[in-house]
Amino acid sequence: MDKISIPIGPQHPLLKEPLSMMVDIAGEKVLGGSLRLGYVHRGIERLAQQRTYVQNVHLIERICGICSHVHTTAYCYAVEALLGIEIPPRAQYIRALMCELERIHSHLLWLGILAKHIGLETIFMHTWHDREMALDIMEEISGGRVSHAANQIGGVRFDLDEEHIDMIRGILKKLHSQVDGLVDIIETEPAAMARTKGVAPISPDMIKAYGVVGPVARASGVDIDLRRDAPLPPYDQLEVKVVTHPGGDAWARTFVRAEETRVSLNLCEKILEDLPEGDVSLRTPRRVPEGEVIIRAEAPRGELFYYLRSDGSDKPARLKVRTPTLATLSLLPVQLAEINVADIPVVLAGVDLCIACADR
Amino acid sequence: MIKSLFNLLVFPGFLFLVMSGLTFEWLDRKFLARFQRRVGPPWYQPLADLIKLFSKEDLLPKNANDFLAALLPLVSLASVLTAGLYVPIAGYKAFSFEGDLIVIIFLMSVPTLAYYLAGIISLGIYSVLGGGRSLLQFFSYEVPLLIALSGPAILGGSWSVSTIMEAQVNLGPFILFQPLGFILAVIGLIGKLKRDPFDIPKAKSEVVGGSLTEFSGPTLGFWNLVMDIQAVIGIFLLIDLYFGWTKMSHPSLAIIIFIIECLILVLILSGTSAIFARLRIDQLAGLGWRILVPLALLQLGLIILMGN
Repeated sequence: MDKISIPIGPQHPLLKEPLSMMVDIAGEKVLGGSLRLGYVHRGIERLAQQRTYVQNVHLIERICGICSHVHTTAYCYAVEALLGIEIPPRAQYIRALMCELERIHSHLLWLGILAKHIGLETIFMHTWHDREMALDIMEEISGGRVSHAANQIGGVRFDLDEEHIDMIRGILKKLHSQVDGLVDIIETEPAAMARTKGVAPISPDMIKAYGVVGPVARASGVDIDLRRDAPLPPYDQLEVKVVTHPGGDAWARTFVRAEETRVSLNLCEKILEDLPEGDVSLRTPRRVPEGEVIIRAEAPRGELFYYLRSDGSDKPARLKVRTPTLATLSLLPVQLAEINVADIPVVLAGVDLCIACADR
Repeated sequence: MIKSLFNLLVFPGFLFLVMSGLTFEWLDRKFLARFQRRVGPPWYQPLADLIKLFSKEDLLPKNANDFLAALLPLVSLASVLTAGLYVPIAGYKAFSFEGDLIVIIFLMSVPTLAYYLAGIISLGIYSVLGGGRSLLQFFSYEVPLLIALSGPAILGGSWSVSTIMEAQVNLGPFILFQPLGFILAVIGLIGKLKRDPFDIPKAKSEVVGGSLTEFSGPTLGFWNLVMDIQAVIGIFLLIDLYFGWTKMSHPSLAIIIFIIECLILVLILSGTSAIFARLRIDQLAGLGWRILVPLALLQLGLIILMGN
């Protein structure tokens, strides 16, 4: 059969964010593919150098529309490390609560997209309906459904009262039973398993060679999770169960993310139980002393890396962000070789790309 | 003469089939929406979509064959409408002759071939891929469907749909004798209609819109109409062949029972599209030839034994 190239992107029903891929196919077999990135590059790192530390919190939040909170969390911890302050424990716990809620809604969003790509639109509708519960909690406590503006340098912007906590507990309980049902379906439905089992497996060696992190790495049996390995507060006081699966294929990634959602739900309940009393923010100086710092946080898609250098003024001298999607993207052309055309969506959805994060 | 014209244009011809096609589309979308926790469209949505498409411009890539592109949906529409004339509706038969079942099956296959050609002539990469897939799919579902549909014909001792229905008045509905054949026929029908889980030729996340990616305006409107009418005729045909006992009841009662049977079949079609994931084309071919064909042959053997 003749070789033809099909374009996937920059606009394609498969993609939620712009990414351009040329995929060479012969009949129904994929021979390989090449990537082009940068369609959502907004120059945020450079913009951050022109704004003050306080303004940057809101700029950083706009890097991603799904994992916005973990970006600001990493940034705020970086600035606080340079300032040499430790925020009140209650603020740390609220930050972690938002992080876990974000992980839940990110994983549910992903589960829905995978289901949609393999033609299970019912699951897509149901997961996105349930995901709204997590978003409802975030809207109720922070005021923002997607951009929460929860963090500020020195703490968080809001406090939780008893009424909030009861409301969150109620919704989490409902969400837990819904997630159990969904996970049960996606892990046992024969057609879904036929579409995801054995598709484009990645070996642990490949994971290490390409530096892939997060659920994709854990689904290949690589046991890494920053919440346990290099915890930011308050994860050092919480016990995080790390879910791994040796499969390495799309089904293993589904399994890992589905189980992680349940782990995060339990973690949310634990955080609410342990929530310390006290203030939620500190007053901080405008200028940040000279120095540099690296902060790593576990985003829903894996390790998020922040490097911040200060020259003593009220603006950062350099801010460098490395997002987990970058490593995953580099592995994508490798995964695309020798698969079926019908498996392209499964591979693309399975690695859970966040192009806006990667391009910034 | 006037009766023939009435049959051709109003019932069970053009007007009735178009209306029931649009009703089918609405019911299907509504059922699917309720399965998916959505509200679903209002009853006039399919008609509104059609009117909108007919008022729009027809655009195709530069070197595409415009004449063929406009002709293919019309040929398909004509063949499904012709097939509709030979399918008795609630016991009412407009035209009939010995062997009309074979003609119906043949005419129902014309849109699939036209769909393949439409993909090839519209010169889009996704269209060519979708067209090729539709042909591969055709070879997977058509054989089990044909074997399954020959079950009622053998049991009824005729290749005419109305004679098969008359045979069921004495013997009882044929679904009692061949439930397996009915299930296979429904699976074949889903494949023919390119519905989820066999919507491989038009899988959005893989080949965008399949053969019809490049089509717009009235041509696309006609194609949508063809798909709807094809679905309706498939449903009518299955009811006639497997639940054909409406004839013995009172006419108005027969109509009510017929409508209820139609609704049940629509519910089955919507339900399957709601709960199954799309198969890969190789998985479909495997399903068709390794599982469905042997089962259909088994059913056929049982029927022949039963006939003796």
